[in-house]
Amino acid sequence: MFVLSFLVRRLLQGALIVFIVSLLIFTLLRVVPGDPVRLMAGGMAPEALIEQIAKDMGLRDPIIVQFGRYMSGVVQGDLGQSFVRPANGASTGGANFNDSTRGERAKVLDLILETLPMTLQLAGLAIVIALAFSFLVGIPGGLAPGRWPDRLAFYISSIFVSLPNFWLGIILALLLSVKLGWLPAIGYQGFAYTILPAIVLAVELSPVLIRTLTASMAGIMMEPFVAVGKVRGLSRRRIVFGHALRNASVPLLNLLGIQFSGLLGGVLIVEFIFDYPGLGLLTINAVLQRDFPLIQGIAIVTSAIFVFINIAVDLVATMIDPRLEY
Amino acid sequence: MTQTSPVLSVRDLSIDLRTGSGKRRVLSDISFDLAPREIVGLIGASGSGKTILSKALVNWIEPPLEIAAGRVEYKSNNILTVASGPMRKLRREIAYVGGDPMGALDPTLPVGYQIVEKLQAVAPEIGTAEARKRVVDLLDAVRIPSAKNRFHEYPSQFSGGMMQRALIVDALVSNPAFLVADNITQPLDVTVAAQVLRLLRELTERFDTAVFFVSSSLPVVSDVASRILVLEEGRIVEQQETTALVQHPKHPYTSELMAQIPKLWAEGAANVPASTGKEVVISVRDVSRSYSVRKRGTFASHNTVRAVRNVTFDVFAGENFGVVGESGCGKSSMMRLLSRLELPDSGQVLCNGDDISRLSGKDLLKFRRNFQLVLQDPFSSLPPRTAIGAILEEPLRTHGVPDRKELRQRALTVMDEVGLPSSLYEELPIGLSAGQRQRINVARAMVLQPKVLIMDETLSSLDQTEQFKLLKLFEKLQAQYGLTYVFISHDLAMVRRVCNRVAVMYLGEIVEIAHNQRLFFDPGHPYTRTLMSAVPTLEERRYHQADYLLEGEPPSPIDLPVGCSFAGRCPNVMDRCLTQSPVLTDRGSKDMAACFLLDEPINRDMRVVA
Repeated sequence: MFVLSFLVRRLLQGALIVFIVSLLIFTLLRVVPGDPVRLMAGGMAPEALIEQIAKDMGLRDPIIVQFGRYMSGVVQGDLGQSFVRPANGASTGGANFNDSTRGERAKVLDLILETLPMTLQLAGLAIVIALAFSFLVGIPGGLAPGRWPDRLAFYISSIFVSLPNFWLGIILALLLSVKLGWLPAIGYQGFAYTILPAIVLAVELSPVLIRTLTASMAGIMMEPFVAVGKVRGLSRRRIVFGHALRNASVPLLNLLGIQFSGLLGGVLIVEFIFDYPGLGLLTINAVLQRDFPLIQGIAIVTSAIFVFINIAVDLVATMIDPRLEY
Repeated sequence: MTQTSPVLSVRDLSIDLRTGSGKRRVLSDISFDLAPREIVGLIGASGSGKTILSKALVNWIEPPLEIAAGRVEYKSNNILTVASGPMRKLRREIAYVGGDPMGALDPTLPVGYQIVEKLQAVAPEIGTAEARKRVVDLLDAVRIPSAKNRFHEYPSQFSGGMMQRALIVDALVSNPAFLVADNITQPLDVTVAAQVLRLLRELTERFDTAVFFVSSSLPVVSDVASRILVLEEGRIVEQQETTALVQHPKHPYTSELMAQIPKLWAEGAANVPASTGKEVVISVRDVSRSYSVRKRGTFASHNTVRAVRNVTFDVFAGENFGVVGESGCGKSSMMRLLSRLELPDSGQVLCNGDDISRLSGKDLLKFRRNFQLVLQDPFSSLPPRTAIGAILEEPLRTHGVPDRKELRQRALTVMDEVGLPSSLYEELPIGLSAGQRQRINVARAMVLQPKVLIMDETLSSLDQTEQFKLLKLFEKLQAQYGLTYVFISHDLAMVRRVCNRVAVMYLGEIVEIAHNQRLFFDPGHPYTRTLMSAVPTLEERRYHQADYLLEGEPPSPIDLPVGCSFAGRCPNVMDRCLTQSPVLTDRGSKDMAACFLLDEPINRDMRVVA
């Protein structure tokens, strides 16, 4: 019953958030300079034709009308069609305004669904690596505040936080891929291609995770129930892994929910560097081509994912700590 | 093990505290024995080393504390030298319950689960099903209602008293040879504490457990222990059988401790004149206040917590008015209504004839100037990074005293009045004792020269000696400025000493309101008698726990029972109480109580004799 009411309440809130994000993105995209029709039709196209295409596509209607039309499609699962990408996946944009392939433009939803799993795989692996590393470094740090494991955790996170991801990506590609030949770097032809970009993302994620874990672990170990637990006869391992870690994981989880948005930002750069065919790369191209429907679609999907992950995080947190009220 | 050999013997135990500049001895040459099934008590003031000694008995001495010398022998082993592995096995036989029930268990796991976890940690051969059964049985035995369901509930869903019961189960579940109980009743309300003590006596008898019982209150210790040790600054200064110690204390320190125990019924217990002024300062008229709390696991439904229900009373000028009751009875909500931190949902609070909820602007400021509040917690009620002088000047600034010289002068005057040295003017409150801090709080209220001071548990966090000094100060200030005090407190002994009239609250209602003498010698409400039966005291009780202290805790203010709210715990409950709610009935000379028994005087007299 609690889970059900929680989910209904939070999903309704989430839908509202996604709606507002869509409205913002939609409006801002249409206010910024640059006419997408000109880009689509090519620089040589006559003015009258451009007006014609724009009218046909409904781009000269008031923004609110366009938005209503768009959202009515979205709720039916139709995110519209790309302005510039043909369905057959060939070239993007072009000078030939009368290109016959333009009639068959790619569906935004298909483009996203092709690339999203790739990005989720990358993000998932990055989180797994980051968590594993953070636990390895952060737990000993939290158990020995002020002593060397704590300082080690601090130094590692300080170093990691100051490594720019584009630089690290290039260095790692050079080292692990070019010099040593251990891991493939560019493009995607199998799971191995995910590892290197995931490591770069994990390095970006882990400093905050390590710091949070160390601090909350050290805090929990000061709680009376930890000291009393020892007197009650619980083993140290049981206290640390059965109780302290459980309590310390709540702030970590909340942080993960927030970090996820940072991860989506990091994906843009890392995918671009490694030419990894995910949502990030798609986004960059969509922006460069002023592909409005595609940008909108990506924005809506990512904000929905973000909202959903935070709901999941809060749900798990309340499962761990029943005192929490969301 | 024979009956004669002690279960635990401590020999020449000394413990040092390592500080930055060296070592300081905190316990010296402690020696005593604990016989099987014996309950030995330990008393001492705060800082005497009670907790350190009780920790030493369960091998829980950690840096900066260190063992300097001596042995704690259990089964002819010195447990202080046992390594942590074998020690964990010994924990099955050595149990400990502390004074912080709410912090003792992991808040994220169900209580029952954690007790099972402990049992299996010290006794791995017990299967999960059997361990669960044992825990549920014991939870039942400590009278936790519907123990089977409670097993799955979390620490935050338990009240303090319930939690302490659960922790006693946790300690006794492995059938230990001895139990160290360190200040276990300290955070509990009197009736709940009395219940817990009664339970502890019963269970230790049933399980043949010896108990080392530590408390700062001699009445509490003398209630349970057969022999008492007196600890003064880390040394045992006296050791006697309980009755002998209470009647003929040998050491002057013991006599001093006993002299500090407030009296309830003895001659000179009350330090106040019975008559008070005639002029009404505050008049509370049929005031109610409820709070709305969101129900967990629902979409939009709310629970209504009825914190204060139809309360009516007057406070007269120059008197000390007491409001007593246990946690959750609505005392603090009452304080918030009196001081206009909140407005009542219905009813009025009148001050000199004006409804205070209508005050605004200048009138409100004037009201606030005359009504000042002194809070309970001396630590969180002072800004830590503001100098004491500035803390005292701030209310003056708010009330329009701009002149720097005058500000300083008035702050220094008030500091002198409450007994703070003027050298503290530039100091921060950090490092001051609780008593000193409470003096700052009193000074901050006094600096505006108010007419009424509302004391919300102001003395609760202080030890007896400090309480005594502050009460003297209150008396002096009252004589000097004709102040009116409203004491909100759970401490009957304090109320007995200083209040002219007392209101007893239960579940948001005033169930009795009477003059001091009448309340303590002829209470009109069964709940008042229950409170009196539970107060720790060395005196001959007028009301006995066997007659008045029933099991159970106050019902939740969310699901108020129909009829009298005390019916569920009342020893004199009648059919009528379950359907109708009694109202305050006049018992003569402005004393009132809300009980149907007052309609049937014969029945009541019988009970009073009992």
